[in-house]
Amino acid sequence: MKRKDNAFYRWLFGEKDTLQGRVEMRPQAEYETKETDLEEILKDHQQVQEKVFDLKDNKALRFFDRMYRIAGVLFCLALMLILLVNVSWLPPRGAASNPVNNEVSARYIENGLQETGAVNIVTGMILDYRAFDTFGESNVLFIATVTVLILMRLDREKKAPAKKGVPVYQKPEDEMTVAQAQAHDRIYEPKNDVILQVAAGFLVPVIIIFGIYVILNGHLSPGGGFSGGAIIGAGLILYLNAFGFEKTERFFTEKTYKWVSFGALTFYCLAKSYSFYTGANHLESGIGLGTPGAILSSGLILPLNICVGLVVACTMYAFYALFRKGGF
Amino acid sequence: MRNPMLQNACHTLLVAALIFLAVMTLFCFLRAVKGPRVADRIVAVNMIGTMVMVIIAILAILLGEGYLVDICLIYAMISFLSVVVLTKVYMGVYREKQEEAKKEAKKDDV
Amino acid sequence: MFEWIRFIAGALVLILGLATFALEVFGSYRFDFVLNRMHAAAMGDTLGIGISLVGLMLFSGWNFTSLKMFLIILFLWFASPVASHLIARLEVTTDEDLEQYCERKE
Repeated sequence: MKRKDNAFYRWLFGEKDTLQGRVEMRPQAEYETKETDLEEILKDHQQVQEKVFDLKDNKALRFFDRMYRIAGVLFCLALMLILLVNVSWLPPRGAASNPVNNEVSARYIENGLQETGAVNIVTGMILDYRAFDTFGESNVLFIATVTVLILMRLDREKKAPAKKGVPVYQKPEDEMTVAQAQAHDRIYEPKNDVILQVAAGFLVPVIIIFGIYVILNGHLSPGGGFSGGAIIGAGLILYLNAFGFEKTERFFTEKTYKWVSFGALTFYCLAKSYSFYTGANHLESGIGLGTPGAILSSGLILPLNICVGLVVACTMYAFYALFRKGGF
Repeated sequence: MRNPMLQNACHTLLVAALIFLAVMTLFCFLRAVKGPRVADRIVAVNMIGTMVMVIIAILAILLGEGYLVDICLIYAMISFLSVVVLTKVYMGVYREKQEEAKKEAKKDDV
Repeated sequence: MFEWIRFIAGALVLILGLATFALEVFGSYRFDFVLNRMHAAAMGDTLGIGISLVGLMLFSGWNFTSLKMFLIILFLWFASPVASHLIARLEVTTDEDLEQYCERKE
């Protein structure tokens, strides 16, 4: 007990600042240039221009100045010419002898159906042969949302000037509550537009069902997780526009976003790691490819498509809500 | 359509329709640039969207690829959504500006 | 013979739809005020695309593509009036000298 009265312990637990009272502390004054100083600087500059470089009579310097501009223009033109010539050397689009038509794409086209079981070769490529690439893309979306969240918080802190003695991270006093924000929202934007609400009531379910169809048929027809997710996100944004945040917050909050994104990305990572591990070690993965063309076929592609679709839909909606209100 | 003459006529008609629609889209674009008010521009962009939808549908028939019509359907949705969001956001911005102007006027009176 | 009849019917309907589009663009230049221009523009959204897509449906025949085109027509008939309503509302709320062009009932 006695030891805690020790100055060192008190300093250690933040009860006492050892420097306080002993050192004169004063905030640093802002740097200002006096007007006389400014005049002197200008004078110096002029003197350097006149006496050292002798701008009026220095022919070499003037020549250099002029040539510098001409050379800049010439350099730009030359660069354009070089790039254009290079573009003209590119092989014609769609020719059979192009370097892109190598054994890789030939393998995708010839063996894609047997190896992945997906009728849509593009989906087979992005979710089977190059699945980790797609995993990175989905993560980029998540990271972008998190970055926007951080930026919004910084912006809010800047708006409220920090008072003396108040730590910066404390919530500013003029921050609105949820109810106030909704009322504020309703002042400026017409929220209860009956015509739009009736139309949205009919259209939103249709749009979301269409998005689900595009996601689930990703391995059979054009589309897949990214496009289907974008359609579902568009439907959610339409719903939000018609009915306001009050209604959407019942099923979509920050928590929902966090868990859906986290769950989808984790499942993607684990499922694909498992399939790569078994594939590299020549083990039996236990996931059949099924008959090509059936809805339950092509192994892991269907669940991965659903994961990507969930992440994209949530990100679309989250971006709109973030920029619209600064939160979910 | 196995008749080569019929196929030829069909191809010519569809390409002519495409060119016609492209010219019309250009005029709509001019309207969007010229339009004195925001509503003008939104109407013009909506018109462009409709024409692009027809262009995609014609392309689907011309190339014989039925799935292009899916893109057309999505385009219709996105175009409708863009009108909804744009009108809402612009109305909000306008009213906010008005409110601020009123507050400033009150401050000046005091 | 039947193919020829189908082609000619489709071509006629498609050209009628394209003419509607031309009228739409002409109207959007002819009128002076936004709310008048919207009449012309909304005509293309519903009538123009309806007629053109019916023409294209005649070209493509009785299959899934035609069904999707019919869905597009249905969607636009549903969504276009709502969009027009929103644009008109935007114009009425933001235009300060609306009385120059039309009566305004509070």
